[in-house]
Amino acid sequence: MTPLLHPYDVTREEGFRAPLDYNRKSLLKDVDRCHKAEIVSVIRLTRKERLFHIRLLEQGERERFSFLPGQFVMLELPGFGEIPISICGSTSQKGFLELCIREAGRVTTMLHRARVGSRVGIRGPFGSFFPLERMKGHDILLVAGGLGLAPLRAPIMHITENRSDYGEVRILYGTTEPEQLLFDYQYEQWRRVDGVTLSLTVDRPDAGWQGAVGNVVRLLEEINTPLEESYAIVCGPPVMFNSVCGTLHSRGIPRDRMFVSLERRMQCGMGKCCRCNVGSTYVCMDGPVFDFWTVMNLKEAI
Amino acid sequence: MNYLGIEPVRPRVALFSFTGCEGCQLQLANHEESLAEFLAAIRIVRFREISSSEQGEYDIALVEGAITRNDEVERLLAIRAQTKVLVALGSCACYGGVNRLKNSLDPAVMNREVYGDLSQESLPTRSVGEVVTVDLEIPGCPVSKPEVERIIQHLIWGIPYSFPAYPVCLECKQSFTLCRFQQGELCLGPLTRGGCRAICPAGGLGCWGCRGPAADPNYPEFFAIARQQGFSEREINERLTFFGGLEVTP
Amino acid sequence: MLFRIVEKMAFRSLIQLLLETTQVIGPRKIAVTREGKPVHQYLPLSGFEELELGYDTTDIPAKSYFLPYEENLSTWSFIGNDWTQEITYRLQPRVLVGLHACDINALLKLDKVMTREFFPSPYYISRRKNSFIIGIDHEPCQGGFCHWLGTDSVNRGFDLFLTDLGDRYFVAIDSERGFTLLQQVAVRLVTENDTADYLTVRRRIASGFAPPLDVRQLPRLLDMEFDSEIWRRWGAKCLSCGSCAAVCPTCYCYGVSENVSMDFTRGAKVKQLYSCTLKDFAEVAGGHNFRSARETRLKYRYYHQHRGFVEQYDEPKCVGCGRCGRSCLAGINPQEIIGDLLATEVPS
Repeated sequence: MTPLLHPYDVTREEGFRAPLDYNRKSLLKDVDRCHKAEIVSVIRLTRKERLFHIRLLEQGERERFSFLPGQFVMLELPGFGEIPISICGSTSQKGFLELCIREAGRVTTMLHRARVGSRVGIRGPFGSFFPLERMKGHDILLVAGGLGLAPLRAPIMHITENRSDYGEVRILYGTTEPEQLLFDYQYEQWRRVDGVTLSLTVDRPDAGWQGAVGNVVRLLEEINTPLEESYAIVCGPPVMFNSVCGTLHSRGIPRDRMFVSLERRMQCGMGKCCRCNVGSTYVCMDGPVFDFWTVMNLKEAI
Repeated sequence: MNYLGIEPVRPRVALFSFTGCEGCQLQLANHEESLAEFLAAIRIVRFREISSSEQGEYDIALVEGAITRNDEVERLLAIRAQTKVLVALGSCACYGGVNRLKNSLDPAVMNREVYGDLSQESLPTRSVGEVVTVDLEIPGCPVSKPEVERIIQHLIWGIPYSFPAYPVCLECKQSFTLCRFQQGELCLGPLTRGGCRAICPAGGLGCWGCRGPAADPNYPEFFAIARQQGFSEREINERLTFFGGLEVTP
Repeated sequence: MLFRIVEKMAFRSLIQLLLETTQVIGPRKIAVTREGKPVHQYLPLSGFEELELGYDTTDIPAKSYFLPYEENLSTWSFIGNDWTQEITYRLQPRVLVGLHACDINALLKLDKVMTREFFPSPYYISRRKNSFIIGIDHEPCQGGFCHWLGTDSVNRGFDLFLTDLGDRYFVAIDSERGFTLLQQVAVRLVTENDTADYLTVRRRIASGFAPPLDVRQLPRLLDMEFDSEIWRRWGAKCLSCGSCAAVCPTCYCYGVSENVSMDFTRGAKVKQLYSCTLKDFAEVAGGHNFRSARETRLKYRYYHQHRGFVEQYDEPKCVGCGRCGRSCLAGINPQEIIGDLLATEVPS
């Protein structure tokens, strides 16, 4: 019998066990100064997306830098601009940051042309994160559409690296065309992890495509085991959220146990420029990760 | 950009003048503090305001002035065929400019008014874009040199330039300039694309719309405001048609 | 809080003393409208004579001395394949004299956003702490509705606050530096007579306000009336010009653009105050615009003023100064919009 109300355990909140700091009086920092970083490697993912490995130059900063899956950094190209990019690598990587970037605007176009060894700026990390602490002991559904696999990759890597903490893990990923599939060289690696399944689908298959055809919701409907005790992470274009989250809810997952990542224009990452503001909510500070119940209550969120 | 490992290219730039006052060309020779840098970043192959020599091929053609004669049409077609990027420079090139005013009048009367008995060939005024495909429009009467510099940089980098989406009003407020309407004057600031630093209203002159429309011009509301402030249909339309970049009252 | 009495001549000496060493900004008459109304702006003073403390209101708020309309956030220098970033924060103190309660309350609201929470802004804090603020009581201004929002009086956020008692000022002192500065000229303790005069002035000011509307219902009404025709009606008038946000003493949103010199040796990261009513406010790379309709953008502005900010800070962002309504050529004004929203529940 599915419980009507789910218990909430306060000790599962992120940072709950971190030592108390009664002396913290001010957070005033030179926050507009960026960490200087070097592009150490560029990996072509598709025609328009590349994976950048970026290493903070100063050793102390490199050692201090840590993030949680779902958070983002502001990437600065001095003279061109600064953009928010979610970190798509593993939290355990200490040497460099992984950023998956689509060529879309002025900054990203220049970045795609930049040579390896170029120096860029990094501020952050900023924003909320997927509550992977709270998800421990549960089955997890990771659903991505299009570029959404990038923000989803950080939790995927975290979960596969801490496999014993979680139940069954299902990754469902769909794009319009096969050539838009991101990180295709890693699928085999994920599939081989015990208890992890990966299903792919495309809307417009090409001649060589052998997987499923259609919307990512189709993949969801094919799951025939109970989902009530699962947590879900959904990343992709906003149009996907309603259909995917609606289906998940009809399968018994409460809306506050499914998490999405919102995309907005941002100029600061620090709750000042207002560009990402939805009602009273700053996507940069309260988000980009929200549970779907919160999203339902945000006017114009999706 | 060196730090990104991108060697900046030095495009060959040619300037061409059609029907207009050549004020926009002259504007390019302005802004002395960065003139040397500007001239070092590009290779000028044709620019009669600063040099009489004409030489060879070019990558970017900056075309100023409106098109009002058949020989101008031919010359423009030849430029289009030769250049990689064709830029309409200034309000005359972008919209027909002041020259366009004659289109609403009798051509014979106009010809006589201007040339007397020595009648000249003159077509209805067209913008550059009405004759050939234009890659980029830089409006303004005259163009703003700092803006031209920014746009040339974007052409060098090969990335699209985006003009400000906001109208002139924002820049008036941000430079503590009193609203011209408050002084009982007509002003096209609410409709016109900003980025000019609102220098006309600051100098005491209501905006004439030389930069064309902002991203979301609300014409019906503007007409209602202008009428309610006591301006006649004729006054409003004369202002709106002056540079040819804006709509007129229905 | 401490209170003192300063004669007007002594106050004049104080300002003149300050002018010798410090930038002093105050209300100055800059023009007259076609209806014959004087227009005042907060501008640097060159002498005491320019200061018009009896002004009604200013068309532009004092905000830009704390959040400049345009501000250099960083300067870049490019050397070969490397670059350096230089950031400077304001170091010079200055004096702002003649701010009304609404404008000081506006600063208190900005303080909440800019000096508390996470990521306090060093740019703002350096300007705020370098500003010595002398406020002044005044008769209700034309078109203001501060008393709807409880911002018609102010108890902190200034150094000195004056109430005009005719030949002298009743001075509320809220900082050590304010107290010390006053010692530069003749001040005296408050007598019973002064207090009586002060209360008379305060009562006269309070009785000058028209009955207020009740804005406490706005957060809920804004949620309920999200799809209301109110927004279509007012939205159709919006010119998307951003004037309302530019003259708002509490609007703080901005855009950032970067530039480089033609020879690629220097660059700058520049902040420009923006407005949520401008077309590209919520446009993202690739072209999608989360708020492409005028009415949606206008609604959003009211949403932030009277609902979003309340949710975050338990008070509206609006101080009722009325500047947005006065600056709007289309006549979009907060009093009428709030009235329309309230009327959906209790027809007026």
